[in-house]
Amino acid sequence: MAESAVESVKLAANNVTKRLQKELRTLMMSGSHGISAFPEGDNMFRWIGTIEGASGTVYENLAYKLSLTFPATYPIEAVKVKFETPCYHPNVDSHGNICLDILKEKWSALYDVRTVLLSIQSLLGEPNIDSPLNAQAADLWKDQTLYKKVLLEKYNKEVRKSDDSTQQLHKLS
Amino acid sequence: MSADATSASTRSNDPKTPNEEDQNGTYECNICLETANDPVVSMCGHLFCWPCLHQWLETRPNRQTCPVCKAGISKDKVIPIYGRGNPNPQDPREKLPPRPAGQRSEPESSNPFQNLGFGGDGNFQFSFGIGAFPFGIFASTFNFNDGRPGPPPPNSPQQAEEQFLSKVFLWVAIIFIFWLLIA
Repeated sequence: MAESAVESVKLAANNVTKRLQKELRTLMMSGSHGISAFPEGDNMFRWIGTIEGASGTVYENLAYKLSLTFPATYPIEAVKVKFETPCYHPNVDSHGNICLDILKEKWSALYDVRTVLLSIQSLLGEPNIDSPLNAQAADLWKDQTLYKKVLLEKYNKEVRKSDDSTQQLHKLS
Repeated sequence: MSADATSASTRSNDPKTPNEEDQNGTYECNICLETANDPVVSMCGHLFCWPCLHQWLETRPNRQTCPVCKAGISKDKVIPIYGRGNPNPQDPREKLPPRPAGQRSEPESSNPFQNLGFGGDGNFQFSFGIGAFPFGIFASTFNFNDGRPGPPPPNSPQQAEEQFLSKVFLWVAIIFIFWLLIA
């Protein structure tokens, strides 16, 4: 009885792995512009993704790193996505959590890494101002010129800081 | 064989079909993306493995929608698909039955009044009220080995008294039944 339960869990994990491998292939062959993702190490259940801001938006030319964590019940349950690069955005909090309906109650088993990353990419340029996680960014959104200025200041500060820390790491090693 | 390989490679190089799997993905489950196993199709036309769809429905008992088009969907509104070559097609929906409902049994009780009136067996106990009266007479008249004191010895005054009493009761019973029939 216990053995068969273990077997079924293994089988389920195997099915999830298969689906994730398929998604990886689809993502790499689709050549979607401005998004990419790849498993982090050997663990198929944790990926690192990057999103570039779409051209024509204030996020143009800005790149963001995200972590994607897949539950064992994927795709029945949604993938957990978090910004790893600090992101100044009305719907992203200071910890990188994203408020996006398709990652929560509107999740469907049909969504995959590609559609999730594309959705987050379009969320960057089209925030939902009515339910903000970052109220200050939501207030500032009306004034796009000022918003872009603050955004770039914050981005440059964060990127420089992380660049400094990597340089420090190199010096140490 | 080689022709197949060439066509596949040209297809994947063709910018118009960036995803080769779109071509053979027609019969893949919309949840696990594999060729559907125990396939069922929804009323809105979307194909799933029954185990995949069952899991999807189980986790959302209050909001059962098609993962593809968000149309309403339920166990009774999907059609199993039987391909050729399976001699005993079995409805996949029967293979993964929903969890059986919980069963609740009555606790064993020492309450002596529990079996009064409508008993557990469904027998109505005819134990009080005027309806039982004539049968009580018959029981005491014709049933002598029921553990009560036996009949008094014959020709004793007690016996004459009892016979008189039982005759009185018998007549009362007969009159009562007669009255019941007339009324």
